[in-house]
Amino acid sequence: MPVTTKTRAGLTLGLALGLGALAPAAVAQDCTTKIGAVLPTSVDWGRPIAEVAQFAVDQVNEAGGAAGCKIEMVLRDTQVDPKVGVDAAKALVDLEGVKLLLGAVSSGVSMPILTSVTVPAGVPQFSCCSSSTAFTKLAEEGKTNGLWFRTFATTAVQSAVAAKVARDKGYKTVAVLYKNDDWGQDMARLIAADFAAVGVEVVANVAINDAQPSYRAEVTEALAAQPEALYLALYPVEGTSAVREWISLGGTQNMIVANSLKSDEFRDNVGLQYLGNTLGTDTASPRSDSADAFRTRYVERFGSEPNGPGLANSYDATMIALLAMEAAGPDASGADIAAAVPRVTDPAGTRVSADAAGFAAAKEVLAGGGTVMYDGGTGNVRFDANGDVSAPAVVWSFAEGGIDEVEYLSLDDVNGFIASLR
Amino acid sequence: MQNLVDGILTGSYISLAAIGLTLVMHILRFANFSHAELLSVGAYAALVFDKAFAAVFPIAATKLAPLSLTLALLAAIVVSMAFTGATAILIDRLVFRRVRDKGNELSMVFASFGMALVMRNLIALGFGLHSQLYSRDIAFAVILSRDPLILVKPDQVFVLGAALVLMAALHLVLTRTTFGFALRAVAENPALAQVNGVDLGRMIAATWVIAGMLAAAAGVFYGLSYQLIPIMGRDLVLPVFAATIVGGIGSVYGAVLGGFIVGIASNLALLVLPSGYSPAVPFLLILAVLILRPNGLFGEARA
Repeated sequence: MPVTTKTRAGLTLGLALGLGALAPAAVAQDCTTKIGAVLPTSVDWGRPIAEVAQFAVDQVNEAGGAAGCKIEMVLRDTQVDPKVGVDAAKALVDLEGVKLLLGAVSSGVSMPILTSVTVPAGVPQFSCCSSSTAFTKLAEEGKTNGLWFRTFATTAVQSAVAAKVARDKGYKTVAVLYKNDDWGQDMARLIAADFAAVGVEVVANVAINDAQPSYRAEVTEALAAQPEALYLALYPVEGTSAVREWISLGGTQNMIVANSLKSDEFRDNVGLQYLGNTLGTDTASPRSDSADAFRTRYVERFGSEPNGPGLANSYDATMIALLAMEAAGPDASGADIAAAVPRVTDPAGTRVSADAAGFAAAKEVLAGGGTVMYDGGTGNVRFDANGDVSAPAVVWSFAEGGIDEVEYLSLDDVNGFIASLR
Repeated sequence: MQNLVDGILTGSYISLAAIGLTLVMHILRFANFSHAELLSVGAYAALVFDKAFAAVFPIAATKLAPLSLTLALLAAIVVSMAFTGATAILIDRLVFRRVRDKGNELSMVFASFGMALVMRNLIALGFGLHSQLYSRDIAFAVILSRDPLILVKPDQVFVLGAALVLMAALHLVLTRTTFGFALRAVAENPALAQVNGVDLGRMIAATWVIAGMLAAAAGVFYGLSYQLIPIMGRDLVLPVFAATIVGGIGSVYGAVLGGFIVGIASNLALLVLPSGYSPAVPFLLILAVLILRPNGLFGEARA
């Protein structure tokens, strides 16, 4: 008897599921388009990024799908490993025949996928979270064929804001201490250019290596240039050591620091009394209605605040990719989809919200030959010629209880300032 | 000039650590990669004793201007040296002696690698991975001369002085006491020394105590100048080995000189090399010495 009950329950469930899947499909067309996603689902912070991408796909399907078909997202794990990521992307592109690819998270994984899978295959790639400026360089060299987009701001935003702080403070000469890794070297290169653009001279540029017993010599070298201010692109461990040395040798306490030093450990061990003239930079989430709307929808769907890294970015990357697919129309090639991105992120276009209703509205506008401006969880996303986006920023200072916000720069402020540097 | 002065000051704690290492390597005949962890043990032990003394005798917690040093920390250094010496013997009894009885020199080297990892992670477990300081206040440097500009921190002068005193004391012990003769005899030829009535076990223990005490002092001096992190042993192992090899394994005076050479070289290197390459300097020194004088500056070939 219990067996029969179970079978019947299973049957009913299967029937319900089948009907559930059939019902909207009957409204839209009876076909499915596959898109690919390569994300690190095996790490704890990677899974929500994949879930929020699927959430965006669900919203689009609720609005009847994109380019005349339902969308199915085929998800593969990268394990944060370039080799695994490339294999996964290759399988998606060659075997599943996906029209576009979402991912990856780490720059080190996204890069080989871009150069060895998506660009050769002509498939557009939308990353939620890769921040390296190496992509910008690649795009400038024309090696991405316009197929690369990312919704995560590069380190260039922080560097530009630091230049703005130096200019506003009236510093004329700055010494730079940077961590000797990919990120630090990137920052040092960017900051030198941005400081020069606002008329601040970099008088010393000193690499700080990991795991050195002492940074005395490095600090002495920077000190010899007698700068008015110090810029730090360091992590707390070596940052504490270098800054204590710097201050004890009588170096200036005018400091500008990257978000990596936004730490209680650094503040406590250097001492708040020496950090009064220190300003930090960081990127921020936008303070707009669309960002709040995303937050609300996320809480409704997942029951928690979207506090993990890259969630709004992943949602927006997926939405924009599918909007572009819609704009490109049925049977569009990968290049067509990539070329349609400006039509859905047009600042002069009709504003559409980042949900099923917004997607439905966008469909109508696009069908009429118009353009739309997508207003999502990270604000009204706008890609530059290299597929990069900008982000709002904050200037912060150390305070007794933690971190105080000194200044909030909206997306327009940041974009305007970065434009003035070029 | 500033780099030269800095190099001498940096060299003082490297020398102290290298003396201990060179003794162990000479008398126990194995490259002890866990030696630098004794510096961490000493530094963290001093941190604990310092807090304890300051809590029991608040008066001892006042600073001895212009140093950032307190009486409590001074006392803590002494206790920590004893503690670290004892720790070194304990580790020898628990691990190295057993390996020594059964394995060869290579097993000892591997055992020391393992010990280094165990000690480093135990410290990280107990104290956390973040950095700690004896005193949160920053001790400002004093200007020794304006042209050329030379800045020196009072603490570092104390470190140099204390290191020299410890070295002088060790020199006297080794050259003026029966114990010193015995120790040197064991280093020269353990079998012959035993024939002459020297207790090998006691001498090995004594070596560990001396190595542990000097390492503790070096660790505290390092922590006083910079900061305490559980991985400080890993950061220091290379300069200390470089000093030992440059000086010649087994030579106490070579180790002292080697320490200062490594300290000065890594500070002066920045004048000619971009700072990104400075971690390579100890390696280059080791290479240069091994090519020119394979046994180190003061070392002697041993059969």
